Amino acid sequence: MNNPYPYYVDIVTKRYFDGVDNKRMDQVLDCFHPDAVLHEMTSDTKHDGIDAIRTMFEGLFSTNGRIWHGNFVHTVDPEDNAVCSQFTVEIEPNELGEELIYQNCNRFYLKGDKFQNVYVYMSGDNLLK
Amino acid sequence: MQYPSTLDRDGLIELATKKYFGNVDAKNMEAILDCFHDTALFTVQTDHLTHEGKDGIRAMFETFLGSYETIVHQDFTCTVDEKNGRIAASFEAVLTDADGAVTRLYNTNFWRVRGDRFQEVYVYMSGANVLV
Repeated sequence: MNNPYPYYVDIVTKRYFDGVDNKRMDQVLDCFHPDAVLHEMTSDTKHDGIDAIRTMFEGLFSTNGRIWHGNFVHTVDPEDNAVCSQFTVEIEPNELGEELIYQNCNRFYLKGDKFQNVYVYMSGDNLLK
Repeated sequence: MQYPSTLDRDGLIELATKKYFGNVDAKNMEAILDCFHDTALFTVQTDHLTHEGKDGIRAMFETFLGSYETIVHQDFTCTVDEKNGRIAASFEAVLTDADGAVTRLYNTNFWRVRGDRFQEVYVYMSGANVLV
């Protein structure tokens, strides 16, 4: 990793959230280590390991139509292998039939070039069940 | 918004954890407010609530500091973006009221620094909003 600052921004936006928004499961999971943990803090829901993370995303993708993440502001710390990101989420739950807007943040801690621990805070009901 | 900051990595950590949270825990109102610009915005994103300007922030802290006998912020994990004047931190807040009831929150704050003070603060809480 020659220049870690843009790497951290790009893995979050151009790989991870691009994969989520386009429902590309393999692209999303390729951002995580096999033993990664994703913890939704506002409901204290923990997804431990890549199989659990896959199951969570299968649920997210199947229960929602359009998903969009944008308006990012990143706090990037290459010294601590971390990037914390604030962003807007626009999402259309199938059962609701209308768009919800969230103002969320994620804290990503990397080991090498992939996510090891991800913490999610949501401004509304947990969507990552 | 992007702001020019005059603080280095250690200065950003000192501002967020010592000057700010150290004085919140000590209930030093003027020292808390000295961390903010007059036009600062303080937003609790998980409650869709913004306190505008130093007067709005003072009113919020008057309520908060008066609601608990002891306030402890601890176990900080800081993420520092020195070149952009931004710092984020996760931490545990332990709030004990006059009846001894304890509220524990595992929150994340984001601070955007202009010069050597906060211009914007964003709080994401793991539970109900205590900064009303």
